[in-house]
Amino acid sequence: MTSFQSAKEIDDEAAQWAVLIDGRGLGAQDDPKLQLWLAGDPRRAGALLRAQAAISLLDRGRALAGVEAAPVTGGARLFGRRGLIAGLGGVGAAALVGGVGVWASRPQRLDTQLGEVRRVPLADGSLVAINTKTALDVTLGARSRLVTLRRGEAWFQVAKDPQRPFVVSAGKVRVRAVGTAFSVRRGEGTVDVTVSEGVVETWIEGQPGSRRRLAAGAGVLLAGPISPVIVKSPAEIERGLAWRNGEIALDGESLGEAAAQFNRYNSRQILIEDPRLAQERFVGLFRTNEPESFAAAVATSIGAKVSEDERYIRLSLNE
Amino acid sequence: MKQSRAEVIAFVGGQILPHEADVRAWLVRTGGAASDVDDIIQETYCRLAGLDTVSHIRNGRAYFFRTARNIAIERIRRARIVRIDCVTEIDALNVMDDEPSPERIVAGRRELRQVQRLIEGLPQRCRQIFTLRRIHGLSQREVAARLGVSENVVETQSIRGLRLVLRALTQTPSQACRSADQGHDLVPVRKRDR
Repeated sequence: MTSFQSAKEIDDEAAQWAVLIDGRGLGAQDDPKLQLWLAGDPRRAGALLRAQAAISLLDRGRALAGVEAAPVTGGARLFGRRGLIAGLGGVGAAALVGGVGVWASRPQRLDTQLGEVRRVPLADGSLVAINTKTALDVTLGARSRLVTLRRGEAWFQVAKDPQRPFVVSAGKVRVRAVGTAFSVRRGEGTVDVTVSEGVVETWIEGQPGSRRRLAAGAGVLLAGPISPVIVKSPAEIERGLAWRNGEIALDGESLGEAAAQFNRYNSRQILIEDPRLAQERFVGLFRTNEPESFAAAVATSIGAKVSEDERYIRLSLNE
Repeated sequence: MKQSRAEVIAFVGGQILPHEADVRAWLVRTGGAASDVDDIIQETYCRLAGLDTVSHIRNGRAYFFRTARNIAIERIRRARIVRIDCVTEIDALNVMDDEPSPERIVAGRRELRQVQRLIEGLPQRCRQIFTLRRIHGLSQREVAARLGVSENVVETQSIRGLRLVLRALTQTPSQACRSADQGHDLVPVRKRDR
């Protein structure tokens, strides 16, 4: 390397690329100019990773503080520090409870409306992401941490505390973790458990033979004691959890499945009027609350016809 | 199993980057010149960038210290003059490997404070943009519309802000206070005499 760049110069260029990729989407990652830049010096790949990681670190602030999307009104006042500090207030209060060792034993009810996704830090340092139309009760006791999933879906990142096991109950299904991350979804007569980090133990109350351990990358749809364990790739798990960012990630799901996903979040329902169309496979990343853009994408890529009214978005074959 | 790039980035953002200032401070304490420290840190990220998966890394902080230490030792071995105190100091670090991962309870709060500190340290314009974009999750276009500027301005300010954040991440909070008005170069701290 003749024109030797300092680490700082490389960092400055990496920051520029990281912002471009962040602003223009993942496609920018394949930009030939970026590839050329990366090939010019082996240190640049590390610098780019670091710059992108810094963006991701700042995003974690949002996750941890449980700040929801900015209100539409409010104008210039929003731009100060108020937004961030308001978000931090809740965590500070929660942290205080943990800090003095007094555990709230009254259940805390957390719920979401249709289409709403919340991230809530718990007083023990755990984090819960709550999907659409969900209700759960959290009881943090001195000996145990209990979450009762009344309905819907939630993902838990559990703070390590071997003295106080973290148990989620969904109907008769129990999921116990010590320090790990997993999601639980209650369906009609089934409970879907997927582990993204660490190990959890699941069982069904009153069925002693149903106890089993699930490691990261495994999922199980518990309907009875012999439900098979489904192995999932980290990418698949991550895709299944895209709702935490208000997104639906489709990678070859049928349009029927995709429509069902959107319909979980919106009062305006997608109807696929032709079973052949419902079988079509589709790839894409969408906002949960924008079924219209999904329909438009289907229309252009598959050649379907869209008709919309107040309550429905109808997709039919273009004959 | 190969992980997606997004997962690796998220891991580095959550588990590695927050400890960078501590690793740097430790390298400086063991007698590293500022430019050497920069290179060692950069090399560490390069190695991470070359990994297909980070799922085997249980403790990001220990991994960061260990990798930086290995790189430092390789550099010392390559150098013609070996400073004995470097080697002993670095070997003393072996204990780091066994250091328990800090409790998530504390980590979560500390992380949040770190993010808050990083954003508050930015100039007004950058801070507005970062708060809207990162904390409230608006898109670049939405931020531009909200502030009544072009997307280009948002992008330029974001690049400027990210550069400042990347520099701030090299310093522990106490260092940041001390050198707030003196630019961002690390001042190597002289080791005590033996």
